[in-house]
Amino acid sequence: MIVLKNVTKVFEQNQNNQVIALDNINLQFNEGELIILKGVSGSGKSTILSLIAALSKPTSGEVIVDSKRISKLPDNFASIYRRDNIGFIFQKYNLIPTLSVKDNIALPQIPSNPDEQELQKSLSNVMKRFKISHKKDTIVKNLSGGEQQRVAIARAHINNPKIIIADEPTANLDEKLSLHFIDMLKELKNSNKTIIVATHDPLFFNLDFVDRFVEIHNGKIN
Amino acid sequence: MLLSPEVLSLFILNLIFLFFGMIAFLLSIKIFLKWDINSTTNIQYTLEKQSFLTATIIKYIFMIKLPLFLYFIFTLDKISSLLTGAMCAAGVVDATSYGTYLLVIKVINLYLFGFWLTLHYSDIKDENLPYTKLKFGLFIIIFFIFIFEIILESIMFSSIDISKMVDCCGTLYSSTSSSYISNIFLIDSKIILSLFYTNYFAIVVFYIFKKKFLFTLANLSFIIISIISLISFFGTYIYELPTHHCPFCFLQKDYYYVGYMIYSLLFIGTFNGLVVGFMGKTNYVDYKLSLLFNSLYVIIVSIYPVIYFLKNGVWL
Amino acid sequence: MIKNKLNLYLLQYAINSILRQKAKNLFIGIILMLLVSILTSVFLISNSIKYELSLTVDALPQIIVQKIKAGRVCDIDANVVDGILEFNGVTDAITRVWGYYYFENAKVNFTVVGIEQFEKQYKDNFENIVKKFDFDTLEANSSMLVGAGIKKIMTQNYYNNYFNFVKTDGSFKKVYIGGVFDSSTQLESNDIIILSKDDAREIFGMDEDKATDIVVKVANPKEIKIITQKITSKYPDVRVITNEDLKLSYENIFNYKSGVFLAIFSISLFTFFMIVYDKMSGLSSEEKKEIGILKAVGWTIDDVLKNKFYESFIVSFIAYLVGVILAFGFVYILQAPLLRDIFEGYSQLRTTFELPFVFDFQTLFLVFFLSVPIYISATIIPSWKIATLETDEIIR
Repeated sequence: MIVLKNVTKVFEQNQNNQVIALDNINLQFNEGELIILKGVSGSGKSTILSLIAALSKPTSGEVIVDSKRISKLPDNFASIYRRDNIGFIFQKYNLIPTLSVKDNIALPQIPSNPDEQELQKSLSNVMKRFKISHKKDTIVKNLSGGEQQRVAIARAHINNPKIIIADEPTANLDEKLSLHFIDMLKELKNSNKTIIVATHDPLFFNLDFVDRFVEIHNGKIN
Repeated sequence: MLLSPEVLSLFILNLIFLFFGMIAFLLSIKIFLKWDINSTTNIQYTLEKQSFLTATIIKYIFMIKLPLFLYFIFTLDKISSLLTGAMCAAGVVDATSYGTYLLVIKVINLYLFGFWLTLHYSDIKDENLPYTKLKFGLFIIIFFIFIFEIILESIMFSSIDISKMVDCCGTLYSSTSSSYISNIFLIDSKIILSLFYTNYFAIVVFYIFKKKFLFTLANLSFIIISIISLISFFGTYIYELPTHHCPFCFLQKDYYYVGYMIYSLLFIGTFNGLVVGFMGKTNYVDYKLSLLFNSLYVIIVSIYPVIYFLKNGVWL
Repeated sequence: MIKNKLNLYLLQYAINSILRQKAKNLFIGIILMLLVSILTSVFLISNSIKYELSLTVDALPQIIVQKIKAGRVCDIDANVVDGILEFNGVTDAITRVWGYYYFENAKVNFTVVGIEQFEKQYKDNFENIVKKFDFDTLEANSSMLVGAGIKKIMTQNYYNNYFNFVKTDGSFKKVYIGGVFDSSTQLESNDIIILSKDDAREIFGMDEDKATDIVVKVANPKEIKIITQKITSKYPDVRVITNEDLKLSYENIFNYKSGVFLAIFSISLFTFFMIVYDKMSGLSSEEKKEIGILKAVGWTIDDVLKNKFYESFIVSFIAYLVGVILAFGFVYILQAPLLRDIFEGYSQLRTTFELPFVFDFQTLFLVFFLSVPIYISATIIPSWKIATLETDEIIR
């Protein structure tokens, strides 16, 4: 369960270009829910995702995940928390273009020094699931947009996280691939993970398998 | 002024250590004064980042200091050929009044840096980073001792006068010399031996019953009694000469460099033993390592007299 | 201490990273390798020459007595020998007549040594030479024996069978080349001309009752110092040099020369690295992005630092190994052209001796400590800067 309690996030605090990204918001996400965060770019939804993933810290307030206060974790612990619990699908995918598909997907696992066989097993499972096995040795920059997204999704699953986060997943896709993604989302919903998608793509607004819609506007929740 | 390349390289590395150590020192002061784990200000976040830099620098210095210390001893040995009268590192150490102090301080610093790293690793394992302020405060103190070591080393090497004759270890470590070392030889070697083995036995006992502080104390005293027993008794069996007591000569090629191994075992064993007492949480690995290495030390050091006896049928 | 198992994946990733940035790493690697080669070569040459020299010095006399006037060496009275022979423990005292003859055309110095056939020679080599060659003819015909290198130079200057020495009064002394020899070490054999003492005196314009210096042999080496004291108290205007002194002073000269070279070298090394690494180490946006991605997927700052450390260690260590191997090849196979001159100086005869192969672990460690840790230290701050970048800002 994810709780944001009185969270405020200010960028460039006390300076001329100060931006209040989130203003004293309170949010709660239950386990297994699929939530869509609605809002235009700049509304603060990406900031919420960052906070949940412990990629940034709130200026004030707390972020609590499964009774653990992740907003105060020192950097190393935040990274380990992220490694173990979060699968983040970034808007720009954030893959390493000069590495192969296989290496990109395995990336989150490297520091934890896993057993070789287990790692290979997880890798082949996840590549099969997201239909990217046939390109496992291809260098990522030689893949199409849709294929790259599948790699990004696969990478988000390699560590079997409890929480999947996707930031504007369809922003760079055409309609066909967007629908593909939504299909995959439906399939993911059945795996009992908590899924949070931030998007302003209207394709998502009428999906029946979404548990909740949260609207964000100017750093506040409607 | 001794300008051999080895001495120069020691100087150069010392300079680098000084440079980075200074950075670590200044950061340590900052962190020690302003650290507040519960604060969410930018200052605290910057401090957290800088604590990584400090830890990295200290890790670097220690990683190099260890092999460098061995190299230092090796250098002393090599320079001994330049000093009239010296036949091993003992002569070089004795060439100036600073030599022995430098050696002792270097060893102490090895222990200190090692402690700091152990403290550091315990610290970062805990979310609350409980030892951060302590460890940086500690480093401030360690840094002063470290600077002292560097200054002492520079003074010692620059003041070695190659035209002055020095005593060879034969004179230094004999019962007739007037230094305080000669007092060792006044004590009957049987007493020293029994103290040595009793101390080791104590270590084993405290290990079995997991008595932290006693274990550490026993290790502390073990350092001292080991060196004394090495000089007065075991050394003579390595040399197979009842009058050769030098603690440096068996670092040379003639004795297969066994000195390096002996001292390393002693250091690792006692270091882990001391860690057990000073760390808050008990880490059983430290216990085991300490016992293991101390035991190896005792075994190897005892083998020499035993083999001698088996070969010759008598003791020295 | 570090109790974790070595993370092979991280190591692999580091190697992979190095290969993915070939240009930058190759550049740094090659420069580092060159620097290591030069440094190692200097030390290897120094070691080899030291070794050669120590062989030579061992063959030198135990005590040399010289007369000093106004701070400079001048000819000593030959009868000082009798005074010295009176001391207990002295087995031998022999006068030496020798000096350097400057050959204008080739701009080199020849070492000219006078030998008397029936005297006890102070050097075993000379004993052999006396036995081997016919000294009677030598003395009768004013001939000389020359070392191989000298013969070469003389031939190059069209002196095939004889040589004209220019005496101190400007007149010529013609000396025939009676034979060519070699002795146990190469440094000497190239360098020496042997002729009779009288001829030597004539060439150097020395009086009959004088000598260049006196060589003393002592039965018990431990008594050298005492006998030295006796000599200096009896003859206050002399200076005594023992072979221990010579050995020490040679070693010091070598240490000094290589030490000075080293100091300058290392400072430039370190400065160079700071600049190069700073310039090249990513705050290139690509590398920034990659670190951002690593941290975003769960790498800690420590992991990133470890990765960077592996990278710099691997690059510098390989450069070190290759540099050392190249140096060995350069010095012992190619015989170190150009670099040798740092040590040999220009006033001596350009020797053509071969550098003997001397393998010394300490030199390897010395070069290691002077290259790898220094390079890694230059990477500490840049690596840390990269590792602590704010993830959030990079990946948005």
